Amino acid sequence: MPEKPKKSISSLSERRKRFAWLIPFANLRITLTLLSFSMILIFVATLEQVRIGIRGAQAEFFESMYGIWYYPTQFWGGEYFDSIPIPIPGGYLLGGLLILNLLAAFITRFQWTGKKMGIQFIHLGIIMLLVGQLATQAMQEESRMQINKGESKNYLERFHGVELAFIDVTDAQTERVVALPEALLEQGGLHYSEDLPFKVRVLDFGPNCEFNSLPPASKAKGPTEGVNRGVIQSANLEIRPKPEDFSSEGMNFGYVVFELLEGAESLGTWAAISHPAGNHWWAQINPKMGDLAFQPIRMNGRLWGATLRPEREYLPYSIELLGIANEFYQGTDIPFNFESEIVLNMEKNESRRALVYMNTPLRHEGKTFYQYQMNKSADYTVFQVVRNPSWLVPYIACILVSIGLLWQFSFHLVRFLNKNSGANRAAA
Amino acid sequence: MNKKKKSNRLRILSWLLVICGLYFVFFPNKYTSSSFFDFFKGEPVGTDESINLDAFSRIPVLRGGRVKPIDSVARNTLLVLRNKRTAIDSNGSDVPAVKWLADLLFAPERADSLKTFLIDHDQVLGLIGKKLAKDGKYFSYLDLEPFVEEIEKSAQEAGRLERENRNYFHQNIIELYHGLVLYRNLKTTLTPPPHAPSSAVHDHSRLSPLFYNSETDGARSDEYQRFRNLTSDLANNPEKVRMGNNEAMGPLMYFIDYYARYNLYAEFFPLPPEMGESGGKWRKIGESLVGTEPLDSKEKAKIEPARFISTVQALVASPDEELPNQIKSIRQNLKMDPTALFAAQYAEAIKLRKGVDPIIENYEQLESAYRAGDAQTFNETVQNIREEINQRAGAEISTIAFEKTYNGYEPFYRSSIGYLWIFLIACASWLISVYLKPGDGQSGAARTLLNCAYLLTGLVLIAHTFGLAGRMYIEGRPPVTNLYSSALFISWGAVVLCFLTEKFLRLGIASAMGSLIGFGGLVVAHNLSIDSSLNPSGDTMEMMRAVLDSNFWLATHVVTITIGYSTTFLAGFLGIAYVFSMLFRKLTRSKKKGKDLDRTLVSMIFGITCFSLFFSLVGTVLGGIWADQSWGRFWGWDAKENGALLIVIWNAIILHARWAGIAKVRGLSALAIFGNVVTAWSYFGTNMLGVGLHSYGFMDKAFVPLMAFIGSQVAIIGLAYLPAFFSLLFKKSSKPA
Repeated sequence: MPEKPKKSISSLSERRKRFAWLIPFANLRITLTLLSFSMILIFVATLEQVRIGIRGAQAEFFESMYGIWYYPTQFWGGEYFDSIPIPIPGGYLLGGLLILNLLAAFITRFQWTGKKMGIQFIHLGIIMLLVGQLATQAMQEESRMQINKGESKNYLERFHGVELAFIDVTDAQTERVVALPEALLEQGGLHYSEDLPFKVRVLDFGPNCEFNSLPPASKAKGPTEGVNRGVIQSANLEIRPKPEDFSSEGMNFGYVVFELLEGAESLGTWAAISHPAGNHWWAQINPKMGDLAFQPIRMNGRLWGATLRPEREYLPYSIELLGIANEFYQGTDIPFNFESEIVLNMEKNESRRALVYMNTPLRHEGKTFYQYQMNKSADYTVFQVVRNPSWLVPYIACILVSIGLLWQFSFHLVRFLNKNSGANRAAA
Repeated sequence: MNKKKKSNRLRILSWLLVICGLYFVFFPNKYTSSSFFDFFKGEPVGTDESINLDAFSRIPVLRGGRVKPIDSVARNTLLVLRNKRTAIDSNGSDVPAVKWLADLLFAPERADSLKTFLIDHDQVLGLIGKKLAKDGKYFSYLDLEPFVEEIEKSAQEAGRLERENRNYFHQNIIELYHGLVLYRNLKTTLTPPPHAPSSAVHDHSRLSPLFYNSETDGARSDEYQRFRNLTSDLANNPEKVRMGNNEAMGPLMYFIDYYARYNLYAEFFPLPPEMGESGGKWRKIGESLVGTEPLDSKEKAKIEPARFISTVQALVASPDEELPNQIKSIRQNLKMDPTALFAAQYAEAIKLRKGVDPIIENYEQLESAYRAGDAQTFNETVQNIREEINQRAGAEISTIAFEKTYNGYEPFYRSSIGYLWIFLIACASWLISVYLKPGDGQSGAARTLLNCAYLLTGLVLIAHTFGLAGRMYIEGRPPVTNLYSSALFISWGAVVLCFLTEKFLRLGIASAMGSLIGFGGLVVAHNLSIDSSLNPSGDTMEMMRAVLDSNFWLATHVVTITIGYSTTFLAGFLGIAYVFSMLFRKLTRSKKKGKDLDRTLVSMIFGITCFSLFFSLVGTVLGGIWADQSWGRFWGWDAKENGALLIVIWNAIILHARWAGIAKVRGLSALAIFGNVVTAWSYFGTNMLGVGLHSYGFMDKAFVPLMAFIGSQVAIIGLAYLPAFFSLLFKKSSKPA
């Protein structure tokens, strides 16, 4: 019996010899420090959600190496301390260091014996959870899909991010769309495509703005100063850029100012604004601005339309909404069901019916459609659509952690029972 | 001899205590009307001589989405209005909830003089010209009646403010106004508001012969019957539905409008679904006469009169079998068309709603019998109503009798008092063990009391467990469904663990700390139940929102995470026990048993923290899986999720600090006490932020208690280091000398 532990110790000591440089990284005090900093990070980021919203806090603190926190004015002594910037280590920094610390501990400190195997599993699971979360934050895409009853949609819209789309509607049967994604708009400069009869020079772009219509005599200042074509010019709109609002109710009106060129000759300068709830709303706000959904441009006998809209992703399948149900408990305003009845029309003319409701999303081709919002009187439904290629990782991690915990607990239980029965025997 | 006598006396005392406990847990007392054995007995039989309010309180009605006995409606509304389950009459004695409600429904002038409203904010009292010191804090409707308009005005002004900007006066005045509305709605649930036809629109001479006339009519249902005659005439002769037929259409429009509006002034649904009706909707009286308005009343202005009348006529003229489908089709396909929607309501009122529900007539008989004190008629009518409902309501009313007894048993009230006693007994046992001289039978005496505390814990735990199980049976849900029930469950979990610990280690520490958490948790639960911003209906068994409507996840994620809270609190309270026993030993300079006690406490804290880590980790991970199933992300950095993660990390810190040898006895205790702060934050604090998916209600009232709790925990951690601090000072000053 005494040989067994000896063997494992020797293998551990061998490992410690070979990876001696890792030993300082595996220190438990480092773990404790990192965990304590994680507590501060999570606490501060939770508080900051009130000010900048969940997405804002996520970008500032969790998806960064460090975040800057200002002591809240509402707190005690806030009027004196609120201007001091306090750096807080960010999620990527702490997560990365914790992974390093755990890996080092795996190599130089953990005993790979049956007795300690549970601990290995638990920590392996935790490494996977951390890595999985990092991967998710890097890869997960969230979009929305709004469908009116009786209609069918084959594209998703991003929650954040806009595109400048040029749509050729000359043929009644088909539309040709060329879109400049937000990344290109941010980059600015001159863009051209074989499918477009003109070149596009992006002069200005912003994720959010305020706008107002000026009286005809006065001249717009700011980004739209040089605009001489399209709705912005005819409605004499002035734009003031604003920072992007990350809060959950945030309404971001993205804008872009662009010049179209044929060869070297300028065709004029346009501007476009995107409405966060969809560009069809412009006509409701002001009939003059209705064309923001489609600013016509005639070119070589073809009719093009320009619009700035939420970035779209076209799908090889479409979803048709048959009906919605929104039920409440009788005599209360507590909903007990939100449900959309849909038909999923896939490639090869296959189709199937499905019900999407709370806790029961539709999964198809790596995307998951969740019931998100619904308007009963206007008869439309909104799905949140998520593509998360690493969705399986947390499940595997959970299984590992569970095995580990069970292993460790049964070990303790068996030992406890043995000890007790031994004690009983001794007492007898 | 002396020794024996003393311990005998104590033994008798502890048996007496246990017997008192038995009595207190199982039998009725002044504050709890049912005993444990009532659950197994049938309904008490009333006599013909007295009005049987017990039978009346068992009539099922629907309120807050759930079918419940009238007894629950009475208790819950009083809980909202007065934070108690009784009212007070002019002599200052308590009026049971069901008596109060019977007065309010059938003889409102009696109820109006009962003290029903709690007002304890000085500014609100000032508004009605009262002083706390002179007039007390309980007021009747009559006291408030002259100020109703002023209260309404102030409440509406307060209501226009953003939530964050409301001060205590604003909150209190809004609450008082809601209370008044609730009171008036209860009053008009069975009795419609008075007629007030506007003379500009209606021909009063045509209407008044139809109105209820207390001199010529036997009951108000005579008016309903006259309205039914009017509609059945139209149903049989659809050609009479036309413009210009003022004789029939004028009264029709007035009554449909009036009865539909009456729905808004009724607090609960007294009428069960009709016999053989699928879907099983309960109805208010107005609804049973004319249905409900399809849209907000303002939308009536958009009706096109000609098309409206022709649609109503066409619908009424269509055959009986087809009408329901036609109405359904309008409601589904013409949601933006007020003309068609209101026409559908009219067609339903004219043709589909038939007769006057016999239960309406029964309730009117109940009213006249109650006012006249005619016990025999009252009791018979109650019986008739219950039989009729039993036949019509089906399985929905299977838990009514249980719920009625459960209300009277008050398991959590019993348990909270019980826990307080246990805590005192455990403390007494320590005092005895310290102050009795060695060899004076002290170990025996202390042990007797400890056994007594242990037995009592078991007894009270029966009541507490039964309370949780009863809620599960009534709701058909796992134990934790809202903040209120989480407080019940947290305290229960801690007491169970302590009970088991005490079984093996009869030190009294687990008994004391378990009962302390039990008592604290139940007090928190009580305060949550009377917070009308969290619990506007007063019913702690409210319905679950769609996203939470999953018994599987409630039973797994919510229960494990709550056990995690429970064990973390327990570890923290054991830490507190260590700090105080350590200080006590330092103050009394007693050395005995210190090391042993410390070692035991440390191993208890350590073991329970292992449990905490397990449950909070598993619970958090299960929550992640639920979120992945429902929203498509495993983790969303939501405030409550972050709170749960903080608990997991903190427990991991405690365990790793112990393994690394950084935290010894005091360090471990201090860390565990800080665990209380972390748990309190993620349990309550995150809800106060008002962001994210888990914010169930803005709980600004809980802010001060939460801060006080956190402050006290930090102070106790400070106390833990006080001796070390002093000895450091002492050493420094002694060195130069």
